[in-house]
Amino acid sequence: MPMKGRLPVRRTLQYLSQGDVVFKSSVKVMTVNYNTAGELSEGARKFVFFNIPQIQYKNPWVQIMLFRNMTPSPFLRFYLDNGEQVLVDVEDKTNKEITEHVKKILGKSKETLEKEEGERKKLSHPATFGPKKYHLRECMCEIEGQAPCPAFVPLPKEMRGKYKAAMKNEA
Amino acid sequence: MSVPRGAIHAKWIVGKVIGTKMQKTAKVRVTRLVLDPYLLKFFNKRKTYFAHDPLQQCVVGDIVLLRALPERRSKHVKHELAEIVFKVGNVIDPITGKPCAGTRFLENLSDSENLTEADTTYLSEKLQELKVCSTDK
Repeated sequence: MPMKGRLPVRRTLQYLSQGDVVFKSSVKVMTVNYNTAGELSEGARKFVFFNIPQIQYKNPWVQIMLFRNMTPSPFLRFYLDNGEQVLVDVEDKTNKEITEHVKKILGKSKETLEKEEGERKKLSHPATFGPKKYHLRECMCEIEGQAPCPAFVPLPKEMRGKYKAAMKNEA
Repeated sequence: MSVPRGAIHAKWIVGKVIGTKMQKTAKVRVTRLVLDPYLLKFFNKRKTYFAHDPLQQCVVGDIVLLRALPERRSKHVKHELAEIVFKVGNVIDPITGKPCAGTRFLENLSDSENLTEADTTYLSEKLQELKVCSTDK
């Protein structure tokens, strides 16, 4: 049973997380003006079709607005926090070139992204157990090679606290 | 009565003016793309903001850029008009700077005053070809 829509691969989490444009924190609004017909706007149309979902997934707090058929020439416009506006002409460019250009001018560099990833990893210790929200695993029984969960397989008599206490009382 | 509130979240937003009936205030609709958790598709989610427009220069249908005020002006007005990005009926193409409507420019892009002799002869020849001749019946 296939997914609905044109190229529904765009609606998968794997595709969305493959986007590598993460905007700097000063970018607040992104505006894309493009035309629905015409050769010059072809790259912009492909950019909106393929890359905008990836960008919005990675930057959920950036407002993205799309304007169709307002001006003859397609362009991108970014509004930064200090009031600055960046105008990017995308006439006659393929969508790959557009994403590369945008990543170069307003995207976080690979080193910054890796540094942030490292900081996030430092906060949580992978060897602790607890709720799924804060830890990787909840109980030791989840790991292969350890004792199975007593909810499914009862523990042998010698390991149960009831038996151990009874033995201690006898002795 | 006024409780100390935190800073306004949306610092810069772009939206479309939907109402100017209030004095010196514009009602602006802002759309953001929000991911549906099941379909994994982005849909436009609208929210209306009120913006302070002291010169009342906004018309319904303008695309405007709003800036967050340092503190709220009134209960609902937290932004002010920073710039009108596209004026309705009077859109200026930012790349060329010329007025345009839809996908065509309104004024003639080529400069017709600076045509040379060769250009005028060439153009008149082309016009001759286009002239429709009456067919003899």
